[in-house]
Amino acid sequence: MAELSETYACAPSTERGRGILISGDPKTNSIVYTNGRSVIIRRLDAPLEASIYGEHAYQATVARFSPNGEWVASADVSGTVRIWGRHGDRVLKNEFRVLSGRIDDLQWSPDGLRIVASGDGKGKSFVRAFMWDSGTNVGEFDGHSRRVLSCAFKPTRPFRIVTCGEDFLVNFYEGPPFKFKLSQREHSNFVNCVRFSPDGTKFISVSSDKKGIIYDGKTGEKIGELSMEDGHKGSIYAVSWSTDSKQVLTVSADKTAKIWEIMEDGNGKVKRTLASPGSGGLDDMLVGCLWQNDHLVTVSLGGMINIYSASHPDKMPTSFSGHMKSITALACTLQSAEKVILSSSYDGVIIQWIQSIGYGGRLVRKDNTQIKCFAAVEEELATAGFDNKVWRIPLNGDQCGNAEPVDVGSQPKDLNLAVQTPELALVSTDSEVIMLRGLQVVSTIKLGYGATASTISPDGSEAIVGGQDGKLHIYSIDGDSLKEEAVLEKHRGSITVIRYSPDASMFASADANREAVVWDRVSREVKLKNMLYHSARINCLAWSPDSHLIATGSLDTCVIIYEVDKPASSRITIKGAHLGGVYGLTFSDENSVVSAGEDACVRVWRLVQ
Amino acid sequence: MGVADHCKDTFLELQRKKTHRYVIFKIDEKQKEVVVEKTGGAAESYDDFVASLPENDCRYAIYDFDFVTDENCQKSKIFFIAWSPSVSRIRAKMLYATSKDRFRRELDGIHYEIQATDPSEMDLEVLRDRAH
Repeated sequence: MAELSETYACAPSTERGRGILISGDPKTNSIVYTNGRSVIIRRLDAPLEASIYGEHAYQATVARFSPNGEWVASADVSGTVRIWGRHGDRVLKNEFRVLSGRIDDLQWSPDGLRIVASGDGKGKSFVRAFMWDSGTNVGEFDGHSRRVLSCAFKPTRPFRIVTCGEDFLVNFYEGPPFKFKLSQREHSNFVNCVRFSPDGTKFISVSSDKKGIIYDGKTGEKIGELSMEDGHKGSIYAVSWSTDSKQVLTVSADKTAKIWEIMEDGNGKVKRTLASPGSGGLDDMLVGCLWQNDHLVTVSLGGMINIYSASHPDKMPTSFSGHMKSITALACTLQSAEKVILSSSYDGVIIQWIQSIGYGGRLVRKDNTQIKCFAAVEEELATAGFDNKVWRIPLNGDQCGNAEPVDVGSQPKDLNLAVQTPELALVSTDSEVIMLRGLQVVSTIKLGYGATASTISPDGSEAIVGGQDGKLHIYSIDGDSLKEEAVLEKHRGSITVIRYSPDASMFASADANREAVVWDRVSREVKLKNMLYHSARINCLAWSPDSHLIATGSLDTCVIIYEVDKPASSRITIKGAHLGGVYGLTFSDENSVVSAGEDACVRVWRLVQ
Repeated sequence: MGVADHCKDTFLELQRKKTHRYVIFKIDEKQKEVVVEKTGGAAESYDDFVASLPENDCRYAIYDFDFVTDENCQKSKIFFIAWSPSVSRIRAKMLYATSKDRFRRELDGIHYEIQATDPSEMDLEVLRDRAH
């Protein structure tokens, strides 16, 4: 049996030029955000426990806890709102098709009975408010002509709803049943976010014109604005009130977050500016914020979540991050004698994870090329992307040294380092196999067949290349040349991955036809077959350090672990490991399997006998 | 397609006297009839049975499956397995497929039938799910 021991969750998905809306539950100190089709709930005090909801059929955009904390309403780009129970089985309470386009913001009424959702209505209604259990409309919302970026519900009676959007308008509705009351045109650019103060007396709207305007909560009249002195120098993307309704936190594209004090007359003055601790590049633009109890949470464009303490804003924030795009490769290696797990996604981000701590840091590389496959040994990393180059990067602790590229002629399909002699690397492209020693291309061998996967033995004496026809070609490495020794036929589909066992006595291969086979290296006989239990192509394969267990991960989201000495029918299956497919697998020790997949999360599973 | 007499007799032995755990039947092309290829003793396991089936050729098989139900009673059900692996020759698959009905009619008292085209389809889990 395998049980989930840790999840290294993904970061919120961000988009340049738009803010994202994250929300939270002050009672349990959790925050909720979305990435791809998943909704992620994380506890701020236990970042390794993340629970992920993957039932949306389309990309999820925003999610909110209900005021009593029991339900979560989440919305996606198709205009559907799903209301589900937060605990236990995540039972679906209701699903409504609210708008005809993407939903940008969602909010519960303070009594938990009504929900207002706003977004892109594609010509029809841009905002809808409805009862949470029956879906019946509770008002007519006209007054907007463009996408409505944010909406808010007044937290105290008498109920009001305020919406703001790309048509520069802030609209105020009274109800229920909600009717248009008045419109404010104070802004000169997209109004990104509008929020009521927790005591309901005021609301604030922030915009890409760098201004923030404060209005009276009951009448909707403007009462003041955020002072321009020491104000933001870029679009303000999100705003969040403190629980005492006296301060607001705003985040902006100028890479700072500011805490403003809202005075009685309705004007705001900057109390403090929080500069982000990043290196100052594009990724540090702040796009989302949340003020929850004592925590100030800011989210940057690069997916970094920083948590400051409101009572001690000078303290360095705790930051953590994750992948934003699907993970393509995973490796476990020793770094300064500590075991770290490295994961890379196709946008070129490599993140280090440390078991039981979580986020270990992002590897900052000098050139951010995209990564398709990578191989890691103790002090070095080799990556191959979508261009014709293979990069070798020396690792000094957390930092990457200067990366050296090698041009290999065509796009690499697979890349492997000989573990014991890491200067020897084998790169396979569509029609050739290239051997590299250090940064020199020592030989290029033209193959007569289409190669789809390759591997090199740990001692660098043998290499195996798998073809599109399912045949495995074994070559012995003699100095700088490859000599074909044997061709093995068993697979019925193109080979996707081949790996040698750590003790080099066996190798395992897997194909696109869902089958995996373990071979004995010396005799080249099949050792374990009938590993056919996946229902879609096998993407990755990993051996345990003692060469007793082998794990396969597939597009069907399952990870299956077999024991080499037992028949294939006695196996451990982990179903639904990663929504969308498992793309990376490795063993961190005898009993722990680490898997990574399309949902941009890395999970550690403990095998219990 | 004929059915040899001792097929029915062996089946009755498995059903009534419980002398065998499994019986594997083969179609003898020359005699144009179904004959018993192999029987397994009552002490043999499911893995032994799976190992006796050829990888590249079709067979018919019956297996006596013992299990404990939810209400804690010991039960035993007879499974008929039409083993037709996707790697076998098309001629063999056609032959076994067309003769299956005629053969099954002879074996009276089968509880469940499984058609398996690769080992994962006749996994012990599949039998456990079907039997109740």
